[in-house]
Parts: sequence; C-alpha cells; structure tokens
Amino acid sequence: MALIAIENLVFAYGPKMPVILDGLSLSIEAGERVAILGGNGSGKTTLAHWIAGWLPRAAMNATSGAVLANGKAWPAWTALERAEAVQFVGQIPMQQLSGFAFTVYDELVFGPGNLGLEPDEIRKRADWALDICNLRHLVDRDPFTLSGGEQQRLSIAAALVMHPKALVLDEPTGNFDPESRDNLLDQINRLPSDLTIILCDMALKPALAIAKRFVLLDGGRIVADGGAQEILSHPRTSAIFGMPAVMEAALLLQQAGHWPAGEDLPLTFGRAQEQFGRITHVAG
Amino acid sequence: MLQVEDVSFHYPGGVNVLSGISFSAGAGEVLALVGRNGAGKSTLLRLLNGLRKPTRGAISIDGRNTAETPVHLISHSIGTVFQSPEQQVFNATVRDEVMFGPKNLPLTAQERDTRVAAVLARTRLTDQAGQHPLDLDQAQRRFVALASVLATQPPALLLDEPQRGLDAQSRSLLEGIILEEKAAGRCIVIVCHDMEFVARLATRVIALADGALSADTTPADFFSNSRLTSEASVEAPDILRLSLALGLSPCLTPADFAGAWLNHHHLNASQG
Repeated sequence: MALIAIENLVFAYGPKMPVILDGLSLSIEAGERVAILGGNGSGKTTLAHWIAGWLPRAAMNATSGAVLANGKAWPAWTALERAEAVQFVGQIPMQQLSGFAFTVYDELVFGPGNLGLEPDEIRKRADWALDICNLRHLVDRDPFTLSGGEQQRLSIAAALVMHPKALVLDEPTGNFDPESRDNLLDQINRLPSDLTIILCDMALKPALAIAKRFVLLDGGRIVADGGAQEILSHPRTSAIFGMPAVMEAALLLQQAGHWPAGEDLPLTFGRAQEQFGRITHVAG
Repeated sequence: MLQVEDVSFHYPGGVNVLSGISFSAGAGEVLALVGRNGAGKSTLLRLLNGLRKPTRGAISIDGRNTAETPVHLISHSIGTVFQSPEQQVFNATVRDEVMFGPKNLPLTAQERDTRVAAVLARTRLTDQAGQHPLDLDQAQRRFVALASVLATQPPALLLDEPQRGLDAQSRSLLEGIILEEKAAGRCIVIVCHDMEFVARLATRVIALADGALSADTTPADFFSNSRLTSEASVEAPDILRLSLALGLSPCLTPADFAGAWLNHHHLNASQG
C-alpha cells in the first residue's frame, strides 16, 4: 500500500477561488525521496499541505478526489497519529516555533513531551536532532533570537524528534548560506533510509542532492514525473528555474556564430569548463 | 545617503552581535549585504531601518540619525521589504495595502491614485488589486510588499532576500524593478544569499563575518578573492569561476562573459 495515494485531486481554497490543484494523481511509497518542483503558483505548497494533512478538515472533506495516507483519508486521523506519521516544515521558520519554549532545547522536547514519551527517550531524541541539525552550540539560546537559518535548522530538528514516517520539507534551505545548506543536505541524506522525504523547492540544488524521483508541477498538474535527467531536459524547466548562466553564455556565443555546430550547450559548470576549454583551444 | 559609523550592537545582556561596522552609500548604488548565517546581517538590517538602535556608533539615512528619529519617520527615508511578506501585509485588499503608505503622505487623492495604479502596473498586480494579499501566491505576495514600499518613493530601499522563492519569470521582473529604482537614484541595500543575483545587480558587496565588516568592495573583486568568499561563506557565481578558469577577466554575467571571450579571441559579435 502506498504511503500517500492521491487520486484525481481537484482543490481550491474556496468556492469562488481559483483551482490550485487540477485533477492531480500521485502515489508515494514508504522510503521514497521525492522532489516536487514547480514555479510560483504551480501548487507546490498546497500539494505539500495535502501530503502532510495540513489543511482544515472542512476543506479536505469538501474536495473532489481522494488523498489517502496509509490507506486512510486525513480527516480520519487524530492529531497525535498524524504527528507521528508526517511532519511538515514550512518556509517561514518563525511560524513553526511553538511559542512555549524559552530555549532551543525546550523547543525540541515540546513535541515528544506531548506524545507522552519517557524522559530518557525524549532526551535521546533531542540529542540526536541537535547533532543532525548542528544546534548543540545554540542549545540554551532563546529560539526567537536565532538567525533565520538557525531557526530553520531548529524547525527541522523539532520535526525529526517526532520520528515521523515521512518528512515534508517546503524550501528547507532557502535561508541558508552554502556551507550550512550543504551540511544540512548531507545530514538529511544520512537520515534512516526508511524515512520518506518529500521536498518542495524552487531551487534545483537541494532537490538534486536529496531526491531520486522528481515531480514537475505546472498549473496544478503534474507535467513530468521521473529521474533527474528527465526533469533537467524538460522544456518547462528553463522557463521555471531560469537557464544556467554558463548555458546562457554559450547561447549568446551560438547566436553570434561562435559556437561550434553540433556542440550541445552546457548545463553545469564542469561541462562548461570542459567545452569552453576545448573550444577556446580551437578558437585560439 | 546612508552613513554607518563605527556601529556596534548587542542584545540586552548579550555579547556584541556587530562590532565597529562602518560604510557609506550614495544615490544609485546597489549594496549587497552578504555573510554566513548568524553573521549579523538581519541585525544590521534592523539597525538600518531603525527597529533597533546601535549600542555604539551612529547610523544616518538621508541626513536623519536613526537613534534620534521615530521609526515611522525613518520609514519615509528607507523602505523595507522583509523576507516574509506575511509579516508586513495587513490590509484586506492589494490596493488598500499599496495605498496605505501614500495615504500617510501629503498627496492629493488624484496623486495617490495615479501613484498606486502605476506601482501596481509595474509589479503586475493590477488584476489582483481587489484580492486579499494573502490569497495570492508567494511571488505575488512578495510583490505586494515591494509595491507598498515603492508607492511611498523613499530615497533608500532595504530588501531582505527579495529573490527568495521566485521563479525565473518573477526574478526577471524583480531585477528589472531594482534596475529602474537604481536608475532613478535610489540607494538600495539587498540582504542576499543568492550570488548570481548579487553578481547581476550589485555595484558593491558589503560582507560580514562574525559581526565585523570583512569586505567592502566591487562584486568582481569580492568574488575573485577566495579568502573573502570563504570568510563570508558564499560561492562565487559559476560564470565568474568559468571566466577565471579560462584566463579571462572576472565576468559577472553571461553577457559580460560572451563579450570578454570574443574580445580575448579577437572576434566580434557578427563574425561567423
């Protein structure tokens, strides 16, 4: 049975509001690492909310189509059951903080405490999450005095301590400097392999680092679902994510008549360096 | 326009988050404020718009000392677009939100209407004018926040990660607006982690490391210096790295690169 099974979902936020998800079907198995990509207004965040069961019960009941988590519709889940099934980390870390904690450590133990876990188990989970998200040096800080990137790491840690079956991340590294981003992506890749990770993003780098499967959304519909190469070469990709600068430079030279016929345009820095090196040699 | 003199800051009872920061900026400059997480960028942003006061040193914007000027008057000199538009949008329609600033300025009703209509058109929000800002998608919400600041026409703009979460089309619209504001003589400060965006737009890079100023230089010099980029934990844009790897002068955009490459090989754009 699929962990998440979405069938022909049509969704708008109200009767007179535009349709955000338009007949969307998607199935995600336990342990999959999936990136959901798309431009502004494509429906990524709304789909992420559906996958995480993060919409009001009335909205979910009024929708056409079906969304099942482990075979059961979200409105039938209790809040505690859902908290242990799927955790969602949104784009604005400030909105994820409980508001009940005066230190980073208190924020981390807030969720497991509400699950009624034993103190030893709570401590063990908090220690694990502190290391994964590189928060140990901030353990006594007030969460509201942290920088945006630090708050984002705390939000992810607070989701991980719940030991969910699936983690839904909505642009998780948008607040990060490259070093912090790469560290976090590395740590995410070390998480237990049975944890399902669903990443929604506008940036390709985190998606390519984490996901094995890529779903491209456009206008509330899935326009591609496959491997990295399929997505990178899809005609909508350049329009949504922008052309890589090295490719744009090669295109300008091609338009000026200085790019060899039959030579493809480079997508990555490494390929560009190799091609320009070779072409420079010929031109020089 | 913008003068930061030996500014230090600490939160009550805490250690210095910023120490001895000095720089200045004039009309038509676009400053990129960069640095690793926790370097003090957001704190400096709150000092520049007067939400916090320096614990040492002084900041003046358009001749006003931020420590001695009420925040609502500082906002006449420097308009801030925060990272999350949800934190600064509070009216029930896009038009009311954009109109809020001009309503508090000495303008006639006709002047206000003209100004708001023009800003909505520039930010491509004319068709959304009657909608609730929070019913819009992420990019449109950001443009609502930007439009509400542009409508007050402050001499300086402060943009916190304005490109974040924007697709290529929206980024292109944003870049165009920033360049127009620069041409109109605004002093613009952008807090940014996206170095391609910095390379395309900034005239100067101000880098922070551990609360101190680690660089104040041109983007080409900054990105060509691996010590400076490493201290600020930023990655030089691919196009600049490629230009250096091929022995060209540091290029910030694909167009710069194509020109330098043709020049290097004594070719011209029309030669086949």
